Parts: sequence; structure tokens; C-alpha cells
Amino acid sequence: MENQNSNQRPPKTWLVESILVTLFCCLPFGIAGIINAAKVESRFYAGDIEGAQRASREAAKWTKIGFWVSVVLFVIYIVLLFAGVLTAVSLDELGS
Amino acid sequence: MSLAAKHKILKWGAVFGGLTLLVFIYKVYNPVENNFFPKCPFRELTGYKCPGCGSQRAVHHLLNFDIRDAMRENIMLVLSIPYLITGFIFDMLKNPGPKILLWRRRLFGTKAILFILAIIILFWICRNIPYCLSLAPGFN
Repeated sequence: MENQNSNQRPPKTWLVESILVTLFCCLPFGIAGIINAAKVESRFYAGDIEGAQRASREAAKWTKIGFWVSVVLFVIYIVLLFAGVLTAVSLDELGS
Repeated sequence: MSLAAKHKILKWGAVFGGLTLLVFIYKVYNPVENNFFPKCPFRELTGYKCPGCGSQRAVHHLLNFDIRDAMRENIMLVLSIPYLITGFIFDMLKNPGPKILLWRRRLFGTKAILFILAIIILFWICRNIPYCLSLAPGFN
């Protein structure tokens, strides 16, 4: 049972993407991705293909949430920044 | 050309354009000297550093080929790069043979992943306590 699947590749673990999410954005989503990556591997080599595929989908979900949250936060930040800059500029003009 | 193909070109064009712009911004501007870079939400909320703190500064130094300064900002990011590239290559390989699969399992299997998780958590704790300040961003 143990080595039944060792000549095949497990489903995508999203490990690389999860580590990137941990480093560049959102720790909780990255960690959730990494834990699911571990589940993909352990279930696959224990013969639980279906469970491994489920964990793979979970890992994909959390990394994608992490990615889009970072994009949204980034956009909100840029919008606030421009709003702030524009306010500062207009106040400056009023003052001069 | 089909609509799907046009869509694909547009999508990858946008990704490529966006990445080029980001590389340009992070190479030219140092996040320490310019306040238009986003701040880490975790640090803003709690005052503690997370494992990703210093990443923007580290990327700036890496893009200017200054590995030592990059390591001072976030050593985990710098050391993870070869591992991430290897992982990416393993993911891309079509029809890997048994030898490759064996190495894949050694480097990216359950034990390896749990080891990485442990490193991330230790790094997180360590960079917030005085004895490990050498790993904290902005400290030598």
C-alpha cells in the first residue's frame, strides 16, 4: 500500500505558491496552503488519492485567496495614496 | 485568431507588463526612503514582525545585486529562492521518471513541507525576540 503510488506524481501541492504568499502577503493564507500541501503528499503516498485531490483543491483555494487579497489590499493602498496625495496637492494650492 | 487565444495573449501581456513595472519600481526605489510602499498589515496591527516583513526591502536589494543587504532585511526570503526555483522546475516537468519522483518526494514531500513550516514558525518567533534580533529587518 505504502509504495503503490510512488511511481506517479501527486496532485499539485501549491507549495511554492504558498511560500510566496507567506513571504509577500498574508501569513494565515500561506500557512493554510502549506498545511494542505503536506496533506496532499501524506495522503497520496498513503494511497488516499481522493483525499490528496481534496487537499490539493484546498491548497489552491487558500493560495488564490492570499493572492487576490494581496492584489485588493495593494489596489486599496494605491487608491488611498493617490487620494492622500491629491488632497495634499489641493490643500497646497489653496494655501499658496 | 480565436477569441480564447486573444484573451490568453492579453492576459499574459498584462501579467508581463505588470511584472516589468514592479521590477522597475522595486529596483529604482528603496522602500526605506520612499513611503509609497504598502506596509505589512500584521506589523501595523500588532507591532510584531511576521516572516514576510522586510521582503519589499529585500527585493529592492536583490534587484540591485546586493545580497548581503537583502539577507539583513529578510534572510528567509533570500535563502528560499533556490528552493522555490527548484520546486517550480519540478512542477513544470512533464512525465517525471522514478528518479526525479524520488528526489521530488525527498525535497518536497510531507517531511520536507513540515520542516519548512517549522522553519517559518521559528523564524517568526525568533525575529521578535531580542536574542534573535540579527534576523530582524533593519538590524545588523
